[in-house]
Amino acid sequence: MSQNEVASTNEQKWEPRILTFCCNWCSYAGADGAGVARMQYPPNARIIRVMCSGRMNPLFIVKAFLSGADMVMMLGCHFGDCHYLKGNYACDMRMTYLKAYLQAIGINPERLYWDQISASEGIKFVDTMHKIVKKAKELGPIANELGRHARGAPRSSEAQATPDDFFDLDAEAVPA
Amino acid sequence: MYYGRATDQFIRNHGECGGVITAVLVAAVEKNLVDGALLIKQGESIYDGVPFFATTKEEITEAAGSLHCAPTLSAKLIKKYLNGAHDMRVAVTCKPCDARAIVEMSKRNQINLNNVYMVGVNCGGTMLPVPAREMIRQFFKIDPDDVAKEEIAKGKLIVLTKDGQHKEVSIDTLEEEGYGRRKNCQRCEFNIPRMADIACGNWGVIGPDAGKVTFVEVRTEKGQKLLDTAKAAGAITLTDAPPEGIALREKLDGIMVKMARKAMAAQFAQFDGDNKFEKLFAQFDKCIGCRNCIEVCPICNCEECFTKEGFVVPKNELPPDPMFHLTRLMHVAPSCVNCGQCQDSCPMEIPLATITHMVQSSVEKTLGYVPGQSTSDAIPLSQIAEVEA
Repeated sequence: MSQNEVASTNEQKWEPRILTFCCNWCSYAGADGAGVARMQYPPNARIIRVMCSGRMNPLFIVKAFLSGADMVMMLGCHFGDCHYLKGNYACDMRMTYLKAYLQAIGINPERLYWDQISASEGIKFVDTMHKIVKKAKELGPIANELGRHARGAPRSSEAQATPDDFFDLDAEAVPA
Repeated sequence: MYYGRATDQFIRNHGECGGVITAVLVAAVEKNLVDGALLIKQGESIYDGVPFFATTKEEITEAAGSLHCAPTLSAKLIKKYLNGAHDMRVAVTCKPCDARAIVEMSKRNQINLNNVYMVGVNCGGTMLPVPAREMIRQFFKIDPDDVAKEEIAKGKLIVLTKDGQHKEVSIDTLEEEGYGRRKNCQRCEFNIPRMADIACGNWGVIGPDAGKVTFVEVRTEKGQKLLDTAKAAGAITLTDAPPEGIALREKLDGIMVKMARKAMAAQFAQFDGDNKFEKLFAQFDKCIGCRNCIEVCPICNCEECFTKEGFVVPKNELPPDPMFHLTRLMHVAPSCVNCGQCQDSCPMEIPLATITHMVQSSVEKTLGYVPGQSTSDAIPLSQIAEVEA
């Protein structure tokens, strides 16, 4: 168990973990700008750079929740500013669907935050980060919603049996 | 909207009510409007349906009459065995879920809709063969093999035995006991196949003709062509349906939709409330990873499945990683037509159709897309519109 997981299971020391996807051309540059200007913001977020917000498969975000992210931020360009012309429209559409989908499978859709931050908006990036960390603390750990499927949670004895208990699936197929 | 009946005495006697569907199919094949028809005939007993491709009058008449205990789905058969109708013209009899699945598959370029003539049949629900036999033994106190004919009408399941006995039990009673129609049929809001080319059935037939003529509604130009061909060949006679009949049909449909909404609320309630995710995965974790649900689903069409390559779903894990079910749900949910095939084919009896339909109905509220309802609206997320959603 890593340091992070120990922290997340301990209620007193729990700090939200936030995964942030930034588009290469606007939001990542915005985050960079905040750094260059030495603006302070909470260290809870891990940033992953994607070439375009339109690159995001909604499943990546679902996977992020299952991997232990308490909140996921998706940041892209403003409408009309997309480097690839329509990527952020595609992203916007997917986030709308994803929120309805998260609601339906029992994950609070507020855990997903989708916003637009341009390259010059370092201040907006910092403000957003403060806002989101506050929000994540209100929502509590994702483990509350995922139960035993949360990362690091012990699985029930019933689900613990793996195919390796019966036969070796990793073995190469026997040549005919 | 018409009342129709077949001119051929033999077809009229063998058809369910009036024989219009059989007559239209025979005329379409004989006048070379289609190359053949994908139909379902009785197999070993009335609890067994065998899909087959009919190309002659004799073969088509074999399939006359209806089967309520053969929940097959024609849509995926067209793709798998008839090459998606890309190089042949096919007529197909379809329940509303078949028709919706065909429409959805055509939007995904799996079926060429121009070559498919959908002859829709009203459907109040189907039953699974094994529970149906059990039910007939338990509630009707007769040997299931003695049943000559079953019919769902006026909220009752009516059974006619071979020696002429007539027995009926209310469907509500059966469903309270866990029998009756399949769970997805209980939730189904589509009883009249309005997305098909013609919609046939016995709803809305009033007066002395009741049970002897078919109510026919033409929905598309292709449907008109089918009917015109049959009429020109002298296979059917049509009279205009009286307005009271049309009103009655709408009323029956309305009652069924209301029942469906009630069933939906009742069945979805088991997953509502707190810990929804855990409630869902209490079911999903029974999975043995056989991939039957993907095999039978009319919406699952990818040649290389995202869940198979180890991108987000780790390979060789049982029960499969939660991402397996979440990926399947995410890909299928906006277009789920609630055909129930996944649930029927699941060896672990996971209520897959219930869960998928639940996600679909909540996604529908956001996206406003009703799967399979019309051929004109695009699948959600398939087109980038330059407007803020």
